[in-house]
Amino acid sequence: MRMSGPLAGMVVALGLMCGATPVRAQEHTPRAAELSRQMAEGRHGPQNQIDIVHHIGNAHSIELPIAGTIPLPRFAPLRIGSLAIDLSPTKHLVYMLLAATLVTLVFVTTARSVARAEAQGKPPKGFAGAMEATALYIRQEVILPNVGAHGEGYAPYLLTVFFFILTMNLLGLLPWGATATGNIAVTAALALISFVVIEVAGMRSLGVKGYLSTIFYLPPGLPTAMKPIMLIIMTPVEIIGKLSKPFALAVRLFANMTAGHVLVLALIGLTFLFQSYVVGIGASVLATAIMLLELFVAFLQAFVFTLLTSVFIGLMRAEH
Amino acid sequence: MTRSIFRRHASTFAATLAALSLLALPAAAQEAEHEAASGPLSVEGGLMVWTIIVFLLLLFILRKYAWPAVLSAVEAREKALEDQMAEAQRNRAESARLLEEHKRLVADARTQAHQALLDARTAAENERAAAMERTRQEQDELLERARREIRDERERAIADLRREAVDLSLAAAGKLIGERLDSDADRTLVMNYLGTLDAAR
Repeated sequence: MRMSGPLAGMVVALGLMCGATPVRAQEHTPRAAELSRQMAEGRHGPQNQIDIVHHIGNAHSIELPIAGTIPLPRFAPLRIGSLAIDLSPTKHLVYMLLAATLVTLVFVTTARSVARAEAQGKPPKGFAGAMEATALYIRQEVILPNVGAHGEGYAPYLLTVFFFILTMNLLGLLPWGATATGNIAVTAALALISFVVIEVAGMRSLGVKGYLSTIFYLPPGLPTAMKPIMLIIMTPVEIIGKLSKPFALAVRLFANMTAGHVLVLALIGLTFLFQSYVVGIGASVLATAIMLLELFVAFLQAFVFTLLTSVFIGLMRAEH
Repeated sequence: MTRSIFRRHASTFAATLAALSLLALPAAAQEAEHEAASGPLSVEGGLMVWTIIVFLLLLFILRKYAWPAVLSAVEAREKALEDQMAEAQRNRAESARLLEEHKRLVADARTQAHQALLDARTAAENERAAAMERTRQEQDELLERARREIRDERERAIADLRREAVDLSLAAAGKLIGERLDSDADRTLVMNYLGTLDAAR
């Protein structure tokens, strides 16, 4: 916990900035748009309430400190038969891309300095060293013990999951930031990928017969007459068991990220509701405390998602 | 066998599974179309697709450019450690084998030495017994020869003495009767007499 001093200071500043960020209501009317533009220019409107749903939800625009609200381009939805998918960019996509870019930059430079340090026969120093240590910690303590023997092949995927989720979580704590992981679509897609990886891990380790027996389970020594009954009852249970794991992953991450933001916004909303300095200071202190908690939760939930995916892969591979 | 086929086609299976999973999207996508992109509980299909694309792209890039270098040091260390452990295990087995062999050799040597000592002792014993036997035989032989020589000497002495006695007695008798008694017949007479003496004794 040596880092806690400067880190806490940073988070306090972050929380204060968040508290100071103009929290504004926005309805989809021209008047609201005008209002938000005015507020972005520093003129505060008479609003005394905040739209929490707007703040944690997605939008076809992003908000920036000076530029204000920037609308994102919209395309017609992509139609495949009766299926229509709107692929136009949204606020959460922008922050997700930002997170991906950050992770790429950080780890490609880390890889460079690690390689350089290794060539000199020294351990990597500074930020690269910290990143390497974190990646190695996740690999040694989270991935390898849970995935099981010869699980090294799953390390790149799980490490990517951890740092991608962590960065998205952390970007949501920045002022004007948005939490992509606070969107159920994002967490569902990540959980879907986990699901595919878990099932493929099962197929690879167990073979066709072994894998199918995780769906159509017949305990050995079962009388033949009982087999159809067993299959009819147990197959849906097994399938639900398989699906509930990624579902829980998706909902856990989404709910954790959303809940913290709702709490912070609600606390800050108190200031606007009461229009009082005392309440404002109290709420800001509380919001800062919650922001600290949020910072912890950002790490924790990335960790939990990675840990549980590792555990599920390990369970699947060790079936029978 | 089936397992290896499965392994080879794992990527195909994965793709199929992913495609099947994507079929779950339409409901979400349609929902997203009706509502504007907002609200925390609406699932936006487009964003799901984007998330999958972005994640796979990120995974691809990191897998290629970042993780190998970041993990190479620890992987190399792990491999070195594993190799060293295997080496140590091998060495231990080797040394145990060598020790066993050494023990066996020492035991063999000891047995051999013992055997050699025993053999030497037996040989010495035999040698001594043989020498004693030989000595005894030689002694016996010597004794026998001495005895035989003594007997021969005695017999020769007796014969000489007898001849001398005959001569003396004839000379004495001749003196007594005043004539020379040295015919062969006289000699035989005395000899016969002495022979009766001999027989009487």
